[in-house]
Amino acid sequence: MGGISPDKPSRQQLEFLGYLRPVGRAGVRNTLLVLGINGLITPTARRIAQALPGCKLAATPYGRGQLGPDKDMHFAQLVGLGSHPNSGATLIVGVDRPSADAVAEAIAARSGKAVAIATLDDVHEDALALTALAVRRGGELARLLSTQRRVPVPVAELFVGIECGHSDATSGLVSNPLAGALADRLVDCGGTAVIGETLEWLGAEHVLAERAIDGVVGAAIVEAVAKRERAVAALGVDLLYNNPGHENVRGGLSSIEEKSLGAIAKAGERPIRSVLAFAAPPPCTGLHVMDGPGFSPESLTGFAAAGAQIMLFTTGPGNSFCSHVAPTIKISGHPATTERLAAQIDFDASPLFLAQASLAAMADSLFDYLLDVAGGTATWGEIFDEGDECFARFGGSF
Amino acid sequence: MAESENTPGATGWNAMAIHPHDSVAVALRDIEGEARVRVGDAIQVVRLAAPIPMGHKLALSRHETGGDVRKYGQRIGVATAVIEPGHHVHVHNMASCRGRSGA
Repeated sequence: MGGISPDKPSRQQLEFLGYLRPVGRAGVRNTLLVLGINGLITPTARRIAQALPGCKLAATPYGRGQLGPDKDMHFAQLVGLGSHPNSGATLIVGVDRPSADAVAEAIAARSGKAVAIATLDDVHEDALALTALAVRRGGELARLLSTQRRVPVPVAELFVGIECGHSDATSGLVSNPLAGALADRLVDCGGTAVIGETLEWLGAEHVLAERAIDGVVGAAIVEAVAKRERAVAALGVDLLYNNPGHENVRGGLSSIEEKSLGAIAKAGERPIRSVLAFAAPPPCTGLHVMDGPGFSPESLTGFAAAGAQIMLFTTGPGNSFCSHVAPTIKISGHPATTERLAAQIDFDASPLFLAQASLAAMADSLFDYLLDVAGGTATWGEIFDEGDECFARFGGSF
Repeated sequence: MAESENTPGATGWNAMAIHPHDSVAVALRDIEGEARVRVGDAIQVVRLAAPIPMGHKLALSRHETGGDVRKYGQRIGVATAVIEPGHHVHVHNMASCRGRSGA
């Protein structure tokens, strides 16, 4: 329990104000989710969401022509987002009734929450009639979830996804170690954390594997990286300027190994319990890694589908993108960034870069802020609605 | 960047080696002239061949072509040319060893 400073022995007893759910972790928000499950009706789902103020829209551009692992991964994202604890109820907007029923049944089984369905099948392919039907059903759900109230919930119920985007040298020096120290504190309290983006373990996978709970998990970490490295090699391309990208190189990062060694600092120092498949919920509390794409919008959707209620998102020069269903705390340790992007960066880690504060003290204050956000304090991304969900394809992005 | 008594620049270092065995240091601000590199508890002074932008790397020792470039105590790539101490280390004189089909 090295992550707990002796002057704060009561962190494990801490609570946040959350929304209890019939099954699983409490929510830190209580919104209606409009879930578009087929790209054919995405414009309709968008219109429906516009007619339901305060709801969140997650709409896939896909939904047909997917087979095997691709279909399974797509379904896992739909069901995961539909079951997300921050949504008090889910309105499924679909095309054919059987697919919508399958998604609805899986969401109800996993989350026990209220689910309604509206499909083109119900209205003889009339998208305007679908709009009217879905808005009415969505309104009923919104009224139902408005009756729910926040109650004290143990901090152990928190599950945090940790992401980095537009990294520079300050990420590996300051903001990623800070996110890692936060993960350590949360895990020590019985909570759960995940990092993803397999390609950004490349060159650092031996370090991560040493932290695995056993040899099986360690070997899975190494193999997940090897699989993607083989795929890159098979394409006959070089990772430079893809990953690390142009903004990484501008910030001083010269290779994927350098970026990865900085990136894994956000996993803290606790044992890695499992390698999660993309969008898969963790089988137990503690620290996990998710085998997923290195594009942060997709990675965040994977964490959200796994059930993470809050995201920590570190950046060097700034990055406005947020999860849609999970409040996303933007952290930068670059003094110029935190000054320039005062209405984007939620947590200023530059005192750590300037050696004006200790890592432990900054991690304690980030932990306090995490509980504030869990209890309802809005992030900049929520205020300006910078969130979206980005569905990933099997074998798609690296 | 604000300066105060507590900033690394004001207290005597403007670059740091993350791990004591690293062959490169990270500039903590835009530096020219000489870098004062914190390596563990010691300060190593390195004359710079050219200005180093904040966040970028400077060589602490001579790297032969093909030699390891080390940061975080790990290899982050190899030198693609001879790199003298105090020189900027970046994509023009080092390369990844991973994820490269042409390597």
